[in-house]
Amino acid sequence: MYRSQTLAVKYLAAAIGLFGVMTIAGLLSAYYYIDPDFLFGLLHFNIAKILHIDTLVIWLLMGFMGAIYWFLPEELGREPVGIWLAEILFYVFCAAVAVVAVVFIVVQYGGSNEFALWFINQGRKYVEAPRWAALGVVAVMVVFGYNVIGTVLATRKLTGIIAVLMVDLIPLVALYLDAFPAMTNMSQDLFWWWWLVHLWVEATWEVLIGCIMAFTLMQLLGTSRRIVETWLYIEVALVLGTGILGLGHHYFWIGTPNYWLGIGGFFSALEPLPLLGMVVHAVYDAGTHHMKTANRPALYWMMAEAFGNFLGGGVWGFMITLPQINLYAHGTQWTVSHGHFAFWGAYGCGVIAVAYLVAQKVRALPEVGGALWKWSFAALNLGLIGMVGALLVSGMTQSFVERAIGGSTLQAFIAGQQDPWFVSGMLLRFIFGVIFALGYAILVYDLATLGKRGVVLAAPAKAVP
Amino acid sequence: MTPTGLLSTALLLGLYVLLAGGYGLVYTLARLERWRNLKSVAGVFFVLHCAIAVLIVVSSALAPGWKLLLVASSVAIFVIPPLTWRYLEHIHGGEGTQ
Repeated sequence: MYRSQTLAVKYLAAAIGLFGVMTIAGLLSAYYYIDPDFLFGLLHFNIAKILHIDTLVIWLLMGFMGAIYWFLPEELGREPVGIWLAEILFYVFCAAVAVVAVVFIVVQYGGSNEFALWFINQGRKYVEAPRWAALGVVAVMVVFGYNVIGTVLATRKLTGIIAVLMVDLIPLVALYLDAFPAMTNMSQDLFWWWWLVHLWVEATWEVLIGCIMAFTLMQLLGTSRRIVETWLYIEVALVLGTGILGLGHHYFWIGTPNYWLGIGGFFSALEPLPLLGMVVHAVYDAGTHHMKTANRPALYWMMAEAFGNFLGGGVWGFMITLPQINLYAHGTQWTVSHGHFAFWGAYGCGVIAVAYLVAQKVRALPEVGGALWKWSFAALNLGLIGMVGALLVSGMTQSFVERAIGGSTLQAFIAGQQDPWFVSGMLLRFIFGVIFALGYAILVYDLATLGKRGVVLAAPAKAVP
Repeated sequence: MTPTGLLSTALLLGLYVLLAGGYGLVYTLARLERWRNLKSVAGVFFVLHCAIAVLIVVSSALAPGWKLLLVASSVAIFVIPPLTWRYLEHIHGGEGTQ
């Protein structure tokens, strides 16, 4: 095994660990809606929420990096250049995440001054980490880029997937620099902030997960390089074609010119079309292999990724993306519902698929099966679907009662929060969150004990290479 | 847009995409299994999708431009599964129908 692959295992383990922190922080955040006095004076709701959404970003990012560090040496046939630096930075990255989390929990917030920006909280959603930690993230990403691009230059070997990955790494790093400015004009600040949040999530991350899924398909189903690369080019073109200007749907109500209503609505409305193509592709791939593979969990999680992306991004997103609807739905639990489903479908499932694939390779298992992964798969997806369904009910209630009927007054806000439909939705969200957390616990146990429980060899379905 | 119009239009828009996905999914399964009846089911999904599109055009308070975009999207949705299938067959060398 390459050193890069050992590092990949560490990154994936850290990612799964942070997935757990995200889940616990999510449960806490959900519980505040049921009992607003919970941990009063000890831990504010906003801190639990910051931990929830920041660990979301970090666990996925670490999962992507783990996947790339796993596939890169196999793709290029050598140890990545500067891997020693990446190994050091992994520990620095983990330590930084831990320190930031402790500061968030213990210190919580600072004053409106430079010290707070640098050492406590930048105060910008998803990138709340203080500046010193944000600089650390940039350093990690730059070294990650150096590992990939330097290795290509050293080997003078460039495959289609690696070429796409290299091109993607530039905006991936450059856009993160957008985490730093602290503008006093709210509209300007949000305008650039969305470049980071939207273009990372709906452009650079989509390409990154496309590359990772291309590698995974080749290893999992033995799909030829020509096929995955051709499809990767098409999907990247379609996703970027609709996703980049789909950014406009975040510009509807932040003080930008009116033309963003048309641009954002138009390109967002086109976003389900490539997702439909992906569904056809996923069913085709699974069907031609009759769902047979030596690693069924990885295949099922890949399938869940295609369907989850379509449902969460496509169906849930399309409900609220046209400006006339978005006027009432933005900033409610409806968008939270869409966000949960889309993140899970587009990225979460993909990282779990890679984790199973890597676990099989590391432990040299001829086949991965058993029952635990099915329980975990069922509980995680049931929990997630239950949560997004409950949030949808609460969000629709908010849009209806608070926005459309009440006209967004304070009184209307309170009426929305007290509406039985809203309250029931938040309660159900917590209950399904607990099911999701149980699924997570089974997932961790399954991944940690694969090949050690003596039940790994499933009913011997003939493995398709 | 009335409060109830808001909810009904949003739900119809969600259903519009969901049925498009159902059409794509069943169409692909039908081609994989070479099952003619399943292809009819795919057709039913697309007809339902079109019915939802018509309902949105007729009953919702969306601006005419968005309604036009939805109709154009339905045309694209109709051709995406067969086109994708044909292209997949091409690059896979007929693997799916063997």
